[in-house]
Amino acid sequence: MLKFLAFLFLGVLCYNIFMIYLDHAAATPVSEKVFEAMKPYFSDDFFNPSAAYLPAKKIASDYENAKAVIAHAIGAKASDLIITAGATEANNLAFTATNGEILYLETEHDSVRRVAEKYGGKIIRVLPSGLIDLKDLKSKITDKTELISVSLVNNELGTIQPLAEVAGIIREVKLDRMKRGIKTGLLLHSDASQALNLLDINVSRLGIDLLTLNAAKVYGPKGVGALYVSHDARLKPLTYGGGQENGLRSGTENVPGVIGFAKAVELAKKHLNANRKKYTEWKKTLLSELKDYELINKKHALDNFIVLCYNGIDAERLVFLLEEKEVYVATGAACAASKGVRSHVLKAIGLTDEQIAGSLRITFGETNDEEQIHEAAKIINDVVKTERARITACS
Amino acid sequence: MKTVYVGMSGGVDSSVSALLLREQGYHVVGVYMKNWSKDLPGMKCPWAEDLADAKRVAVKLGIDFQVWDFEEAYREKVVEYMLNEFKNGNTPNPDIMCNQEIKFKLFYEKAMEMGADYIATGHYARIIDGKLARAVDENKDQTYFLYRISDGALKHTLFPIGEMKKPDVKKLAKEKGLHNAYKKESMGVCFVGEVGMKDFLKEYIDIKPGEIREVESEKVLGYHEGAVFYTIGQRHGLYLSGEKGAVNDGMPYYVVKKDLKNNVVYVSKNLNDENLWTDELKLKDILLRQLEHGFLGDGSLAPVVTGLAPSSSVVTSACPQKASSQLPAKRLLVRLRHRAPLIPARFDGETLHFENKIKRPASGQSAVFYDDEICLGGGIIA
Repeated sequence: MLKFLAFLFLGVLCYNIFMIYLDHAAATPVSEKVFEAMKPYFSDDFFNPSAAYLPAKKIASDYENAKAVIAHAIGAKASDLIITAGATEANNLAFTATNGEILYLETEHDSVRRVAEKYGGKIIRVLPSGLIDLKDLKSKITDKTELISVSLVNNELGTIQPLAEVAGIIREVKLDRMKRGIKTGLLLHSDASQALNLLDINVSRLGIDLLTLNAAKVYGPKGVGALYVSHDARLKPLTYGGGQENGLRSGTENVPGVIGFAKAVELAKKHLNANRKKYTEWKKTLLSELKDYELINKKHALDNFIVLCYNGIDAERLVFLLEEKEVYVATGAACAASKGVRSHVLKAIGLTDEQIAGSLRITFGETNDEEQIHEAAKIINDVVKTERARITACS
Repeated sequence: MKTVYVGMSGGVDSSVSALLLREQGYHVVGVYMKNWSKDLPGMKCPWAEDLADAKRVAVKLGIDFQVWDFEEAYREKVVEYMLNEFKNGNTPNPDIMCNQEIKFKLFYEKAMEMGADYIATGHYARIIDGKLARAVDENKDQTYFLYRISDGALKHTLFPIGEMKKPDVKKLAKEKGLHNAYKKESMGVCFVGEVGMKDFLKEYIDIKPGEIREVESEKVLGYHEGAVFYTIGQRHGLYLSGEKGAVNDGMPYYVVKKDLKNNVVYVSKNLNDENLWTDELKLKDILLRQLEHGFLGDGSLAPVVTGLAPSSSVVTSACPQKASSQLPAKRLLVRLRHRAPLIPARFDGETLHFENKIKRPASGQSAVFYDDEICLGGGIIA
């Protein structure tokens, strides 16, 4: 009844409140405050920031301030950020920093893997825990290696990579090169799309030269991203034109998008600790109420990431069965499911084909509440039971 | 309980077929045949979405679901055949080949191996007394694509929606909450679905530009991208207006002839050009399905006499059945394109004869034979 009344009053304003959305790693809804902040810049404050008159100058200044908010959140300056149309573009742009040898983690998102492959990148292995194999990294760095790409949080497992340790290794290599009079630089790129929400990121503390950010994963608008670029990195533009974004990303600025991104980042920072605590509690609750599963990402995972395996069950069937009950979860990665290929990430951490097929990814977020977590556990248990019964009846 | 393996493409027809079989009490296993998955420049092959659609329905129906990979065979048996036909100047029909070689051969054989009693597909067709027959929905009848499937496969095939009309299939899907009731109709072969055959051929056939000449005057009117793209009778895509020598009187040109050796396409404004019309069609790769039917000396269908043993082979003009000649001959009906009207014809064993001149169909297409609603097989237009 309460839900129904809420629907009557709020239903038209927001997403379907009857659903239980457990796929926040795939997409997050633009939060109301973010949406409100963006609105004026679609209409009243529509001016081109490059125009000469005062109202346009105000927009240019709002835009720079918004960039500063995003930059400060990672310990950088507005001028260090290149705004892009999403994380994929930012990842692509990062790889223009070099013509030399590239190393990348085998569990990276396709927007890193495909680009790295194109530039002839070599793979760094992960351990069964999902963490980077630092020994493998060390053994693969040569004097020609110029770029190493390791995501801060893996998008399928939520694994938080020890970037400071990676940066430490890089520092040693750089020092050794200097001693031997080798001029070749070595950059660290990190895709932090999944991390901004729940991790305190500081680029200088982590020793990162290139950092990819994504508004769409932090309750900001889709199609907005950013690349942090340190002074050591020299990029080449992917688009040419009016010379916006330090000449690296021409095109009239996406003002409402960046305003929204900044608001989203501000809110994420504000609620970071409370959210982490909340999600950790929910994770405990869900894992204790669910039955008959194997937890895949036992350690080093972000607070809102759960990857489960139901042995002998095809998880994609569970996704469709849950969909009928308006519970939305992912198998492996949302995009991998639609291509019908087995997740390269789950394979990399040593899961069998059967385990991969039985794996579900659950990611909490701001659309959830505690009641939903209990409800979700019940529904998932029911659906798994139904599916097990069907399989038994067939055989 | 009998087991049926049903080919599920993700479309509404095969989804409803699976639904009906389940309601009829069969043990149903849904299978997505993965025949083609390669993207083309500027075009994403929708196979993964189709697969997800098929699987979602299977889960909803609570049936088993599998993906069978036939890509290699499809490439070899269907795509290669198609490319070769185009290279030889013909206009092949890949769907007919796909049914013959993949769906009603590899899929059928594998299903039987896995313990199936039957296979099923979402084709609009029926089986009457073990014979392939036209669907109730004359608009959707797909026997044109099925005339070459083997008798062995047909014996173990079910066409659950052959008795239904398409709007009723869609209605049923909606009633049962199958989401793909609203899905856009697929065009059969996924890679020609959205880009069209021309873009596909450009990727796989080495084409070179050549002249377009007017057939009457031999005058060069313009240039084409590659003769294989053109089909006799076609009127689009000639881009002739404005070319030097072309009289731009607004009348369209038609392709009337192709000279593959010299890579010249001949066109004409004359709709009565002899190349566009014919009263006979020579066939190759003839496959006749119903052996109790023969053809009389005049090329009409021999009537079937009950109680008479079926003849062991197709009777051609040289050997009419004696007993049959006492009954009135039946009319052979022929379909020259999917959904084209049935037209009466006579068949002498290798050539079809028509009473009136017909617009010449492209070589490589099929002529499919019917005795009223029974599909008798057919042949490929030489």
